[in-house]
Amino acid sequence: MTGMEILRLVLDAASIGMMATGMVFVLAGALGVLRLPDFFTRMHAAGVTDTLGAELIIFGLILQSGFTLLSAKLLLVGFILFLTSPTATHAVANAAHRAGQKPLLSRHHPAHPRDRVEQGGE
Amino acid sequence: MMDGFDWTQLLDFALMAMLLAVGIAIVRLRNLFAAVMLMGVYSLLSAAWFVTLDAVDVAFTEAAVGAGISTVLMLGAMLLTAREAEPVKAGRHWAALVVVLATGAALFYAIGDMPAYGDPNSPANAYVGLDYLIRTPQEIAVPNVVTAVLASYRGFDTLGETVVIFAAGLGVMLLLGLGGRKPRRDTEEEDEA
Amino acid sequence: MFWVNLAAALCMSVAMALMLARLFAGPSLYDRVLAANSFGTKTVLLLLIFSLLTGRPDGVDIALLYALINFIATIAILKFFRYRSLEIALAQMSLRRAIGGEDDE
Repeated sequence: MTGMEILRLVLDAASIGMMATGMVFVLAGALGVLRLPDFFTRMHAAGVTDTLGAELIIFGLILQSGFTLLSAKLLLVGFILFLTSPTATHAVANAAHRAGQKPLLSRHHPAHPRDRVEQGGE
Repeated sequence: MMDGFDWTQLLDFALMAMLLAVGIAIVRLRNLFAAVMLMGVYSLLSAAWFVTLDAVDVAFTEAAVGAGISTVLMLGAMLLTAREAEPVKAGRHWAALVVVLATGAALFYAIGDMPAYGDPNSPANAYVGLDYLIRTPQEIAVPNVVTAVLASYRGFDTLGETVVIFAAGLGVMLLLGLGGRKPRRDTEEEDEA
Repeated sequence: MFWVNLAAALCMSVAMALMLARLFAGPSLYDRVLAANSFGTKTVLLLLIFSLLTGRPDGVDIALLYALINFIATIAILKFFRYRSLEIALAQMSLRRAIGGEDDE
């Protein structure tokens, strides 16, 4: 039936789109964790993109596998990741802050000449 | 698929390459905390690799025990000792290398005698294995034959394993000082329920 | 669909390798805890994609198990490094619970 075929096509296209977007987020996050200069900036990269990319990929997999027990289990994994990933991110950032890890506030030393405070004379 | 090449093998190669990299890093790093985390990562990669090899039950155990509990317990033990490993003398390095190469060569030589992967006529699959495969749907009727073997046909074996793991867990708890000692700080001692 | 799943699995492997690089190199221990937690999440995703790639639905159970264990292990490691010993951590937690039911701050 063309109705079912169109539905299958739409679901496949949606699934491919979601998985592609999820993969882009995950790769961007991983690259960010490797390349960013400071712990708290890496926290941003890992925490945000892990949850979002994971949920997009899991949703893409759910669209692939239809209405079965497998989708229910995938939904459960997605729900667990949705709850625990941001909590773990917060826990690590909180622990690092309590332990005295300071954020890197200025990457360029000295500051731009325009922003440099005058020492007492022009 | 193009010309019969099994593309999922690329995933196997990637996992094995990561296992190799992590193994080398565990040996070379001197910071003990990093080594403990990397051992947890090694167990996790092994669990993922077992899934690609279709050994799902082993992967379960490896993920739960190796990647979870083992890491936490080793961290607890590490906190009782120093944070950095002492450097090992060069003589020990060469002796260890010789032992590893000799054992590896012996294992590779023994692989030549093993039956092919999944061979139905191998001794593991032909006698008792075939018997279990025939009898499980009739007598026990669970879809997973490994579960039937572990829980029913070789149940005493599983009982022995559970006793061993329980004893090991008790031993670790006693060694690390868990379970029932009062906190050491005198100013905060209250009577607990 | 097979090629999309395979591409996703290979992208996951690349992301895992990048996380490993941060685990090797991280100057502080919180970098390493972050990288290990993220590595665990990516392994969960890899197991899910692999289950759908090969048509064996057993990998989803392992992914479920490890998603929970990853979280618990990360929190346990952070509690260790806060209290500096396993015994004090457990004793502090039970003490605070016995006193007021307040969680630790």
